Amino acid sequence: MTTALRDFIKNPTTAELELVARYAMQPEDGRRERAFLAFAETGLPHRRMEAWKWSDFKAALKALETPASASANDPVPHDGALVFRFAPTGFEQPKTLPEGVRILTQPTTQALSGAEDVPLGALAAALAGGGARPSTMVIEITSSDLPRLHFVFDGAGEASFARIIFLVRSGVSLTMTESYLGGAGFTAALLEFNLEDAARLNRTIYQRGGTDEALAVTGLINLAANSAAVQTTLAFGAKVARMETRAVHQGSGAKLTLNAAYLSGKGLHADITTHVRHGAPGCVTRQLTKGAVLDGGTGVFQGKFFVPRKTGQHTDADMQHQALLLEDGAVVFAKPELEIYADDVECAHGNTCGALDDAQMFYLRQRGIPETQARAMLTEAFIAEALSTADDSVRDVLLAEAQNWLSS
Amino acid sequence: MLKITNLSATVGEAAEAKTILNGLSLNVPAGEVHAIMGPNGAVKSTLSYVLTGRSGYEVTGGSATLNGEDVLDMDPEIRAAKGMFLSFQYPIEIPGVPVMTFVRTAMNAQRKARGEAEISAPDFIKKSRDVAKMLNLDAEMLKRPVNVGFSGGEKKRLEIYQMMMLEPKFLILDETDSGLDIDALKTVADGVNAMRDPSRGMLVITHYQRLLDYIKPDKVHVLAKGQIIKTGGPELALRLEQEGYDGVLGEAA
Repeated sequence: MTTALRDFIKNPTTAELELVARYAMQPEDGRRERAFLAFAETGLPHRRMEAWKWSDFKAALKALETPASASANDPVPHDGALVFRFAPTGFEQPKTLPEGVRILTQPTTQALSGAEDVPLGALAAALAGGGARPSTMVIEITSSDLPRLHFVFDGAGEASFARIIFLVRSGVSLTMTESYLGGAGFTAALLEFNLEDAARLNRTIYQRGGTDEALAVTGLINLAANSAAVQTTLAFGAKVARMETRAVHQGSGAKLTLNAAYLSGKGLHADITTHVRHGAPGCVTRQLTKGAVLDGGTGVFQGKFFVPRKTGQHTDADMQHQALLLEDGAVVFAKPELEIYADDVECAHGNTCGALDDAQMFYLRQRGIPETQARAMLTEAFIAEALSTADDSVRDVLLAEAQNWLSS
Repeated sequence: MLKITNLSATVGEAAEAKTILNGLSLNVPAGEVHAIMGPNGAVKSTLSYVLTGRSGYEVTGGSATLNGEDVLDMDPEIRAAKGMFLSFQYPIEIPGVPVMTFVRTAMNAQRKARGEAEISAPDFIKKSRDVAKMLNLDAEMLKRPVNVGFSGGEKKRLEIYQMMMLEPKFLILDETDSGLDIDALKTVADGVNAMRDPSRGMLVITHYQRLLDYIKPDKVHVLAKGQIIKTGGPELALRLEQEGYDGVLGEAA
């Protein structure tokens, strides 16, 4: 190592110094170093960075501390699933794995391309591992006939880092779910999905966090020709929670669906950020994000479609974000972006923020439905569409969680 | 049953508040159907909103009681549980909420507020089937989101469906005839007439005499300038039809 550790980050905060110290404990590895340097370039992302102006991790995360609040219960069923559990200091995985799923243990860190675009993903890559935890978990999927794979992030501690890489082989379908349940002061997870030709992915994410926790989940999805990915997120936020997805259409005929619902209550911040690159002609993206925010809560939506001039021809893409400000004092920031250089494409976007409709509320109440219940009913109906793409095994669970939140 | 005494109300914010009801008095005994007629702009719909508690209106004087209880201080859902039902002139679309879910939620919320047990699923379905049959409502329609994509006539029939399911004590029909062709009008009127009962009162708000050929009122009131300015029997509606509001209003003034 040529650079002195303390020089990695300019004017480091306590939390950043602790992250540098954690990095120093990791075995020496050129790729790990490159990932950490990509993070160290900016340190914890902050409001003076365009992509992070509404989700300031540097300000939110002063030091790595175990939060007062414990992990939430996991509503996603474990029965019938292959469960992998990541805690700040521990790791559990199924004792045996069925044929069709193989875990490749890598002694060294895998390279992370585009690390500078995902500083907290790079941080996860640099700090994953240690103790029982794998430094990088590579999961190869060769059969569609598998139980659902379920990844749980919970347990008390200062910080939790994980990096998981999926290789979904040609023509194979994978259904997987993730539950981020809080409990750690800072969680950074990096999940990479490589879908080969005609492979299929259905990914569902459930997130809950406390008012003194920071969470960053970075998903990178590469879609080869005729592959398809469907992602559904239900996020309740944390002190700051960023659910970021970067997807690249790499082969013609790929199809991507990115849906999310965020429900932010008092003191909670939920950020849904996505970037989709149409790097091959004739690919389809459908994106629907719905949010509902209470007094003292914050929602962030940043979506970008990038359609290059040559490779992006015949792109068919649609981005919708709709948010409900349920009370005075609710805050939503939205930045939908289409950057299109190709001339033969169909790209649309829509973005709305508003209150519940007075006329609808009165109609429900005139029929005898009390105000709180009427509000919950209308809000649930509003967000349900975004959750409709979740896997059958978890869709009703997500709706029930949303309903509980709305009625409380 | 419904007794309105010297009711005054305004709409709008303080400085720009506009008087819309100006000492209106009206008494509808149980078992009777009263019609309220009036020219356009006579704030007929306002009266229905003030009675059912829509926000945006301020009561500045007088009272309205249902079976002796003052309703004006109650939340809209409490008034509904006490038996007030408004058939909307323009029924509201509720995307994402199927009709059956909506009506069952409303019914059970009202029952809960009254301290009654919830209706069982089989009983609800049976009742719904009977009512839908009478109103010529397709079972598929009741699975669709409330009023979304419904024609004008379907929306009005759905209002009557809700009314017959919820069995309110006091019905307010606001311009129920608007947007209906003659067949739909008959179906709707049949539903309303089936609800006539010695224990139930009805207020039928309409601009035209036509609806009153099918729903025969016991009394007809003419509403203008925020007051009832003339009251008579069914023949008053016919006179309005022949002479117009100007003729009758001119005589009253």
